[in-house]
Amino acid sequence: MTTANETTIKDQVRQFIREELASAKGITTFSDDESLMENGVIDSLGVFRLVTFMEENLGVRVGDEEISAENLESVNKIEQLVLSKTKKA
Amino acid sequence: MAYVLQQLLTESAVRFPEKTAVWARSRSISYRELDEQSNRLAHLLKQRGVKKGDRVGLFFPKRVESVISMFAILKAGGVYVPLDPQAPVDRIAYIISNCGIRVLITQDEKRRALDVATRESLELCVVLDEARESGNGTRVLPWSALSDFAASHPPVITLIETDLAYILYTSGSTGRPKGVMLSHQNALTFVEWCADKFQITHEDRLSNHAPLHFDLSVFDVYNTVKAGATLHLVTEEIALFPATLAKFIETHQITVWYSVPSALVLLLLHADLQTGKLPHLRTILFAGEVFPMKYLKQLAELLPGVELDNLYGPTETNVCTYYKVDRARLASMDKLPIGVACENTEVFAVSDQDEIVTKPGESGELYVRGPSVTYGYWGDIEKTKKMVIPNRFQGNFEEKIYRTGDLVTLGEDGNYYFVGRRDSMIKSRGYRIELGEIESALLSHPSVREAAALAVPDEVVGNRIKAVVAAHSLQSIKAAELQQHCATRIPRYMIPELIEFRESLPKTSTGKVDRVQLSQESYPIAV
Repeated sequence: MTTANETTIKDQVRQFIREELASAKGITTFSDDESLMENGVIDSLGVFRLVTFMEENLGVRVGDEEISAENLESVNKIEQLVLSKTKKA
Repeated sequence: MAYVLQQLLTESAVRFPEKTAVWARSRSISYRELDEQSNRLAHLLKQRGVKKGDRVGLFFPKRVESVISMFAILKAGGVYVPLDPQAPVDRIAYIISNCGIRVLITQDEKRRALDVATRESLELCVVLDEARESGNGTRVLPWSALSDFAASHPPVITLIETDLAYILYTSGSTGRPKGVMLSHQNALTFVEWCADKFQITHEDRLSNHAPLHFDLSVFDVYNTVKAGATLHLVTEEIALFPATLAKFIETHQITVWYSVPSALVLLLLHADLQTGKLPHLRTILFAGEVFPMKYLKQLAELLPGVELDNLYGPTETNVCTYYKVDRARLASMDKLPIGVACENTEVFAVSDQDEIVTKPGESGELYVRGPSVTYGYWGDIEKTKKMVIPNRFQGNFEEKIYRTGDLVTLGEDGNYYFVGRRDSMIKSRGYRIELGEIESALLSHPSVREAAALAVPDEVVGNRIKAVVAAHSLQSIKAAELQQHCATRIPRYMIPELIEFRESLPKTSTGKVDRVQLSQESYPIAV
């Protein structure tokens, strides 16, 4: 069951990616489970802009070692990472 | 000694049949498998009509089949054309048409993304995944069809070193990419030089970071195979994440690394590299762009035992000069030289007075002479004639030399130092980008009246791209729209990150867009 908070996080992530990353690559749509690396939305610089967004706008600290495909590959995975850091136990 | 590239494989398959040749995406193949699979595919291609000199495209993300295909095409006497799996289909279609590719090794999904006309023009597609529909008759074959063909020997063909081996497409200033034609001799001149200079042995483990359409990969693939070493292909999901990449280097115990400097800078900044963490790494080669000195110094300090070499050279000649970092000197250097000519290559700088530079402190355009120089650009005699020219400095016999368009200075230490470009070609993340190609893409949008693409210096990637655009009056366009439009024509890394709209662009007294003024007005893009 999704709470209002979870929906908001995913929406924010999607919006950031769409406006700040995808659009600069000429990409208009992407699904929540699509690989943002394979479709070219995120490149080596985009990775860090995404992390900065997560830290500054979503309030989560992302360590260098957490910057990986498992955590950042898709909207769903990013949302999961954020939730795992904001939910307590 | 090998005179065509595939002989490197034949020899290593005899010496090291069971050794791992290539690793990619958790799969690996031995030298015997690489040899046999490429033999089979070569027979398939030959049976389907591939003749000596025919261009065969490779269009799929890196995997072991990439290397199998490269060797197979060579064994069939063909010329392989690696196509950027991330390029827009329009660009791929252009290249397929431009050099007359009739056979493509690809994935069915990518085949179907091509426009109908391009698809129809292909006589054969070998697809790595299962073709979803049959009903294409025999024009689409699955990879599994290889098993119908002989594995023990390649087809019998007559091929010599001056025959073409591959074509690499690079950014073109007039809006379309150009295909650099490279022969077996061109490639082997470079490969032999590297083998000797960097002493690659069968115990080495090389990475392949660069895309296969980028000539850094020539070292990775062929120097690995020549030595009987193992090649580890770096794919997107590893390359994009510095921590993952560092782990990859550590886990695979990579001994020799070759990449653009920006990949190393990102590792330095974000992968928590510590002294002793990459104990197997013995040599790092870098090329493609200027390595910011402050980062190079940090890297050198973190990896004290590692040899560091700066390699320089355009796609048209592969590497033509090199400089081995002198660690004792490094601290006091503020500029890294591109060095001196590789053995079996000659370089010289030509001044504005059209004389060869001989005195330290003098500058000129760098020219390259020798067996690594390309024949020219496929199907573009005009452009070829401009850059691959008769050697007017030598009158005993006819030969061609290549003018790089790079301005260099001869240093007191006998090394050449890179100064800048004559034209509007820039490097970003090591990628060669003609600003004109970006401008062409922008101008092709119906609402754009004027456009200029500019490089905005960036300390990590060299340059970022900004565009300044004037729309036709009474029309307005959004940046996102233009970026989308660009995405259909040029690769992602060329799309301007920032687009500024103006009523009109500043002009020089001759009526051309005043780029100098535009550059001066620009500000660094904030991350």
